[in-house]
Amino acid sequence: MALMPIAVVVVGVFLPAYPLRILDLVLLYAILGMGLNIVVGYAGLLDLGYVAFYAIGAYTYALLASPQFDLHLPFLLILAIGAGLAALAGVLLGIPVLRLRGDYLAIVTLGFGEIIRVLMNNLDWMTNGPQGIARIDEASLFGWRVSTPVDFLYLLVGLAVLTFLFVWRLQESALGTALAAVREDQDAARGCGIDTTGVKLIAFATSATIGGVGGVVFASMQRFVSPESFTFWESLSIVLVVVVGGLGNPFGVMLGAGLLVLVPELLRAYADYRQLLFGVALVLVILARPMGLIRREYGPSWFARKLMAR
Amino acid sequence: MRFVTLTLTTTLLATLSGAAYADITIGSAGPLTNSEALFGATWMNGMELALRQANDAGGIGGQKLVLQREDDGGDPKQGTLVAQKQCDNAGMLAVIANFNSGVTIPSSDVYHRCGMPQVTNSSNPKVTKGGYANLFRPIANDLSQGAAPADYALKTLGAKKAAIVHDKQAFGQGVAEVFQDVFKKGGGAITSFSGVAQTDVDFSALLTTIKSENPDVIYFGGIMPAVGLFVKQAREFGITAKVFAADSAFTPDFIQGAGPENAEGAIVSFQAPPYDSSPQLQDFAKAYKAAFKEDPGPYSAYGYMEAQVVINGIKAAGASPKRDTIVPAIAKSDFDSLVGHVSFQPNGELKQPFIFLYTVKGGKFELLK
Amino acid sequence: MATLVLQQLINALTVGAIYALIALGYTMVYGVLRLINFAHSEMFTAGAFVALFAAGLLGGVTGHPGVALLAGLATFVAIGLLGVSVEAVAYRPLRGTSRLAPMLSALGMAVVIQNVVMLAGGRRPLIYPSFLPRGVINVAGAIVSYKQLAILAVALVLMVGLELLVNRTSLGVKIRAVAESAETASLVGINPNLPIALIFFVGPGLGAVAGILYASYYGVATFSMGFVIGMKAFTAAILGGIGSIPGAVLGGLLLGAIETFATAWMPALTHGVIGTEYRDIFAFSVLVLILLFRPSGLLGEHVSEETMVYKRDF
Repeated sequence: MALMPIAVVVVGVFLPAYPLRILDLVLLYAILGMGLNIVVGYAGLLDLGYVAFYAIGAYTYALLASPQFDLHLPFLLILAIGAGLAALAGVLLGIPVLRLRGDYLAIVTLGFGEIIRVLMNNLDWMTNGPQGIARIDEASLFGWRVSTPVDFLYLLVGLAVLTFLFVWRLQESALGTALAAVREDQDAARGCGIDTTGVKLIAFATSATIGGVGGVVFASMQRFVSPESFTFWESLSIVLVVVVGGLGNPFGVMLGAGLLVLVPELLRAYADYRQLLFGVALVLVILARPMGLIRREYGPSWFARKLMAR
Repeated sequence: MRFVTLTLTTTLLATLSGAAYADITIGSAGPLTNSEALFGATWMNGMELALRQANDAGGIGGQKLVLQREDDGGDPKQGTLVAQKQCDNAGMLAVIANFNSGVTIPSSDVYHRCGMPQVTNSSNPKVTKGGYANLFRPIANDLSQGAAPADYALKTLGAKKAAIVHDKQAFGQGVAEVFQDVFKKGGGAITSFSGVAQTDVDFSALLTTIKSENPDVIYFGGIMPAVGLFVKQAREFGITAKVFAADSAFTPDFIQGAGPENAEGAIVSFQAPPYDSSPQLQDFAKAYKAAFKEDPGPYSAYGYMEAQVVINGIKAAGASPKRDTIVPAIAKSDFDSLVGHVSFQPNGELKQPFIFLYTVKGGKFELLK
Repeated sequence: MATLVLQQLINALTVGAIYALIALGYTMVYGVLRLINFAHSEMFTAGAFVALFAAGLLGGVTGHPGVALLAGLATFVAIGLLGVSVEAVAYRPLRGTSRLAPMLSALGMAVVIQNVVMLAGGRRPLIYPSFLPRGVINVAGAIVSYKQLAILAVALVLMVGLELLVNRTSLGVKIRAVAESAETASLVGINPNLPIALIFFVGPGLGAVAGILYASYYGVATFSMGFVIGMKAFTAAILGGIGSIPGAVLGGLLLGAIETFATAWMPALTHGVIGTEYRDIFAFSVLVLILLFRPSGLLGEHVSEETMVYKRDF
């Protein structure tokens, strides 16, 4: 399993820049997907506003490392701030909402995502409104300038591995078990003495944190942020990454991220029919495999066991 | 999983790097699938027409020109991907991209890295702030687009009070702010400066407020169809103030959408003279209709002119044109296009931006002197 | 001032009536299947386009006034059938699998329908001929157009009709039984497929009519117009209490009023800090507040989390 990221890097460095950028995007979506998967796949709650946390991370980087306020903080510091702010937003939103039943969470998060986007668009004094923030600093890690697509490949592979290990351990931890209990039967879980609102809140905040990290990286890759990058469709894409790939399974999420980024790129030639085919494909996948392409059971632990047994 | 990754990457390599090298390829990128798809598609048709005409005249040094259209969905992320794809295509000598300022700003970073000559149609003043020598903008930016109507309102109409509405998008808000500045500096008063949501079609609440402010003129910074609806609803509410709108209203759809009786007297700024105003433009409109079986869109003539800029640049770049020889050739552009004279300042902006004011009279656009 | 308030009130009622018509479709589907039918907003869009096509076949809407009515009816039926087929193809096979799967299938269908409308109807915003009478009358200084009156009248007739259908007919009884509990209903011999098909006929039909009214009122139709208005209508449904038919109507009217008055007065009240550009989030802010303080909506049944049964939501 440890060979996989190495393989990605080895293949990646020999790719021309365009496929390499696509690979970078796949990795970014895989990270976001693994983050969202904590809420959707592990806890069984639908979050349709994940883009809000992603936007918070992206704007944190844009505001703290650009000519906007003439602040130029180091990348790692902003990564921590962005993750922290996203987590805070997750907690503030989660406390009142997680008491409610599942479907309502979907709608409130959808509304929250829109509210954040509209705020970014309207708070001109801070975010520059619809004009967006341009000429954002290049990221730099201990003197290593992260600017070309290859640099980002290294950074993203590193982050993806960390995220993968984190969510895997989380799934296997006591918290993961509690989340599974909440997902399968909330009443029974509460009967067993699990603080259901508490574990849901932790899941929600953790997921938001990863979204924030993804946002910071996105802003440093794009070096331009504007509200149009953070629409509902973006949230939807990340949900699709999780659902198409495999609910509750990080491997599935990676496959989902690959498909969700690649398929539209490959359909580029059919510009007119691209979205139509995309919609049809979505319905067909859901109809054929409602639990995603890779089932929950075939996760990292299953894979590790297989390796051991051999 | 390793297998999957490998399969994916090999598929990528196989499908994405197979570019054609035979002809001279010019790239274009703009919105083809979102709500602005119409503008993007008709804009690219304009380019296509310029290329076909050049090919009919023998191409460049015997080589045919090919336009490769890409969809950026008006989305910065897709825009940078497309930019990279075009950069990687060694046979691509220049691009006409992008349509939206929000896409051009990040994509110009990528094009700059590979020295790609880039001609853009996005009008936000910030676009050229990157200081990239390979980026050209042969159209008026928002500064002139917002200033001309404000001057006209103050000096010719003698207006004292203006209400300003914009759609909270980079373009609409940009021109509205310029209008506001120029109008204020000229001694006018702004009764209100309001944004509306881009997708809004119901302006009744806002108009009811504006009516009570009784402005002399109303400036609307936004695009179709909102601008047509705005004018229509304003008149239905009995608001008689002179209405000004920016370039995207320069289409028969605006008059139809607002209703000819409501659009009457509205003033629209536009970078080009009317399609029927010169034999050149009449020919263009005719040729366009013959080629694409529909009337040209609001940006078709720009697309045509921008393609000419590129074609002339490639021709001027010598026997075997390369990206780095085309850039200085475009910088030296100096020709009369169907919309006006094209020559660039060192920062890539037009030397003399052309902007025209039109008024609606009898259901048609008429040039204001 | 009074005139101004009256004028805004009429504006609010018109917008609210359209929201309400769409909200009915969301609320009925949710009430029975616990499904957020994301494709519903596209029924609204498709309705506007199909009606224009139908009117064209009948010789144009500007001719005989009967054409508008006939085209409207034809559209109701056509979009109703579309709704039924979408349910049969994309939702029914997923019934009982998980709560998430049908919602995503619905999102996929939304994308599909929107793109079909785009390919068939074009990307250009369509200048929409009015299906409604023209002209205005002056009521105490406020300007009321015949269009606005016609929209209110059509909406009222349809809502009363729906209320009668659900409460006074045997089909209505079946719908309510299935909404209460599909399992119990099947125990007493009600096949849930018929009432569900009926809901997927009526809801999209109403949404389609709303599309015609909306496009006629504003004079334009675009293939992408459903998304935002759909989200607002869904908000209206929750506001009124999801699953409740009178709730959807009340929610729609209330949301129209909140939006209109907030847009009109917020800028002055907050000295321009909150301007009209916040219009779209007035609706969402209301939504969040409602869910926090009265999750069951205004007319919904009160459900506390303790009594909710969680059974493998996903």
